[in-house]
Amino acid sequence: MNEKSGLLATGAAIVGRHKRYIVWFFILNLVLARMGASAFRVQAGHLLDHSLHADGLLRGFDWGIVGELLSNPGFGSTEAVTTPGMILAALFAVVTLVILPGVFLGYASLYRISRQEFFRACGQNLWRFVRLAILFAIVAGIAAGILHGIFHALAKLADASSYEKLPFYVHLIGFTLIFLVLTKIRIWFDLAEADVVVSDQLAVRKSLFKSIRQFRAQRFRLLGAYVAISMVALLVLAIGVCVWNVAVPSASIWGAFLISQLILLLLLAARFWQRAVAVSCLLRSRG
Amino acid sequence: MSRKPVVLLFLATLVAAPAIPQTAIAQNAIAKTAVAQRTASQAVGPALGIPSTAIAINSPTPLSQRVVHYAIDAKYDPKTHALDAQETLTYHNLTGQALDTFPFHLYLNAFQPTSTWIRETKRDGTRDVSLEEWDKKNYGAEEIQRFEVVLPGTAPADLTAQLKFIQLDDANKDDKTVVQIHLPRPIPPNGYVQFKIAFHDQFPQTLERTGWKRDFLLAGQWFPKVGVWWHGAWNCHQFHGATEFFADFGVYDVKITVPQFEVVGATGLEVDNVDNPDGTRSVTYHADDVHDFAWTASPHYKVYEDTFVGSMGPVKLNIMMQPAHVDQEERHARILKQSLDHFERWYGPYPYKTLTLVDPEVDSAAEGMEYPTFITGGTNWWMPKGIYLPEVVVEHEFGHQYWYGMVATNEFEDAWMDEGINSYTEVKVLDDILGPRTSIFNQWGFTMGERELQRLSYVGVADLDPIARNGWEYANYSSYGGITYGKTASVLLTLEGIIGEDTMRKAMHTYFMRYRFTHPTKEDFLRTIEEVSGKDLRWYFNPAFYGTQVLDYDVLKVASTPVDWYKDNKDKKEEKKGETEYQSEVLIHRKGDFIFPVEIAIAFDNGERLREHWNGGDVKDRWIRFTYKKKAKVETVEIDPDHKIQIDRDNFNNSHRVEPDGSATSKLTNYWTFMTQLFAQFLAWWMV
Repeated sequence: MNEKSGLLATGAAIVGRHKRYIVWFFILNLVLARMGASAFRVQAGHLLDHSLHADGLLRGFDWGIVGELLSNPGFGSTEAVTTPGMILAALFAVVTLVILPGVFLGYASLYRISRQEFFRACGQNLWRFVRLAILFAIVAGIAAGILHGIFHALAKLADASSYEKLPFYVHLIGFTLIFLVLTKIRIWFDLAEADVVVSDQLAVRKSLFKSIRQFRAQRFRLLGAYVAISMVALLVLAIGVCVWNVAVPSASIWGAFLISQLILLLLLAARFWQRAVAVSCLLRSRG
Repeated sequence: MSRKPVVLLFLATLVAAPAIPQTAIAQNAIAKTAVAQRTASQAVGPALGIPSTAIAINSPTPLSQRVVHYAIDAKYDPKTHALDAQETLTYHNLTGQALDTFPFHLYLNAFQPTSTWIRETKRDGTRDVSLEEWDKKNYGAEEIQRFEVVLPGTAPADLTAQLKFIQLDDANKDDKTVVQIHLPRPIPPNGYVQFKIAFHDQFPQTLERTGWKRDFLLAGQWFPKVGVWWHGAWNCHQFHGATEFFADFGVYDVKITVPQFEVVGATGLEVDNVDNPDGTRSVTYHADDVHDFAWTASPHYKVYEDTFVGSMGPVKLNIMMQPAHVDQEERHARILKQSLDHFERWYGPYPYKTLTLVDPEVDSAAEGMEYPTFITGGTNWWMPKGIYLPEVVVEHEFGHQYWYGMVATNEFEDAWMDEGINSYTEVKVLDDILGPRTSIFNQWGFTMGERELQRLSYVGVADLDPIARNGWEYANYSSYGGITYGKTASVLLTLEGIIGEDTMRKAMHTYFMRYRFTHPTKEDFLRTIEEVSGKDLRWYFNPAFYGTQVLDYDVLKVASTPVDWYKDNKDKKEEKKGETEYQSEVLIHRKGDFIFPVEIAIAFDNGERLREHWNGGDVKDRWIRFTYKKKAKVETVEIDPDHKIQIDRDNFNNSHRVEPDGSATSKLTNYWTFMTQLFAQFLAWWMV
């Protein structure tokens, strides 16, 4: 087993030992999203539940009927149904930020930590993680903004070419580069988050500097592992949606629910795998 | 339509194909002779006339009453996107009265910051443009440099100084899209006049329909074009944001000179193609019985030739594809031939010898446009096979060969008669070719049909404007689009439900055959439908075409109550299916002000089905109650159970099931939840 697969395998083993974290986050993700969809459910149900016209939605996915539903004055404003979902999605990110220190502690521990230890870590590291999140947003925002600006300008230049695919390739290269740069920054901050928790570091800048050194030392292994896991997540999404489309009968509510939730569970697991890789890397560097 | 006839048609086309080149060579020779003869006759004197050629049509004699003959010699410079041309327009006065004033369209002047077109486009937007800011590249101009008039028996008179811009629609003095000339003496009835016009075009970077993009050019509305004498007056409107065009039938002989690297396509039949010593190429086209001429040039076109064997003879198909789209050539050819086949079988023959389909430069705002025997499509290199956008655009623009090209209605004043009728036939043809619920896309489990798309475009603007309205007088572009395309198509589909599909098709066929190569009015169309159906349909036509009434019926109440409901509990029998007697009532409500007779289907829980009829009430009565006393409860009620009405604004309230079924809601909520979860995970993935 080479070093990169070692990182991936160790990370996977950590995730496997702490499956309950993923399950809890999955439930949280589902519950919040379900709450966010309740306005949609009420407004759609008001029009659909007593109407025979709604039966058309059970035969495949007819955008004509969906469009008619969304544009129907009785459905209400689109903002009224999208806003709760957006707010609760943001809330999921916030709750993740709050609980994540406990997860890092659990991943770094050789034993199963108690509930008290878990939540103590959450409480102790809350503001450190908030500071890290703000710093990440600034650093990633600047990097993505500059790169997006450059590639937007390049795409505009490419648009003058009569080679029609050129703007697409420019966008594709730009998107890939932005993804790689953001992934690098994410690795850096994941290492810092793990270090803050494991070292009980009060000054997050120290963890950030330390993490830069760690990342530089293992940049290719870490980047390779993170990109590989992202690709796995992308494949899970693509294959899952294909299976949903091909194998699940269009009228099967439960079939669609189960396959969609399985996809989301695996996507969530992929991100936890990356965090476990960061913890594994940190622990190795500490000997 | 079944697929078999199309396959046979393909085979017939392949068999007929080898004969075409020889025919084309012969036609070239004829055309050259005809042009030479005309040139000679013009050189010796003012014996004016309109050619009676039949070179570009599958008919031995002219098909239209030819009013105009345009002979244009144009030279295009792709570096400056400019063109210099000499136009000789011969006009035959068939108006029955003397004419001493002639208006001309100068459409390219619309692309100037203070023109009416730009003002309206800035205000309302159009299909391609929102005009956030003015870009100098969007400037276009059509400048008449010299204007001479040749009257029989007189020498040419230079009237350039007497040209006067007129603005009859909106009095915008900055609008220069219509120019008028007053002649020294009138042209008598049945007389001729000739105009010799030297003009210079500056093409805009395409804002809409016409102009250049990168090294591509679509030259539409590019030459001074005389108005139409219609209903006792000149009809020559300014160019508006939402309007299209109107012109008389005639003959076109156009020579286009471009650099030799350009590939050219145009209206009509190519009759000459010569490489000049100066590195340019001159391509000459001849068109019979058309009312406009457009052309395109680009160094990148890949040209494919095909043939459709029509009822009047073979039609040469020129398909000009962008290099990145050559793998979609077969898609374009297939839908073009399927459309030709359907129109020939359902509405009437396509009489021209050519049909050119141009796949324009991407993002050129020249996609989806129609000119006689010349249409533009619209696609992208990545277009999946299950997204039928190229098919929809090609079918629609081909349909305009009938509803605009041959049945040449006034697009300024009756936009619905070309766009709306064409949208109706588009639904019919695409339903048949691609399926009623899948004709827009059928990809990755998602579907959408053309019929529903037309309806959706209408319901959002249902009460804003009537169908019968001048094109520039709609509330905004959404209303123009939703009413002229969507409402007209939905109104005609509903009409089909009233008179029957076969009768409607017969009426459309009659309308086409009777009014092809003329300029019919809205009443010509409506009267034809009434005549063929044998019905007085004014009760429907008046609100549907001339009014803004909205049709919306709903099931207001459904209730089944045991007849012994009033008895004390001890005396009352326990409710039992099939034994308990119920008093049921169904209340149907007409919410809208469009009165329309409807069928109502009522289903009981013992399997019994009933049909009721309601005439829709009147001004005072907006509802009707049906009551039943049965040993069964009402299970479902549905208005218009055969789905004949396409203009009901809200289909969801047309039915009611007593026991709610949340399956559809649950299904959509699943999707909604999935998307919300995915978004939440995406946020958390990157932020934390």
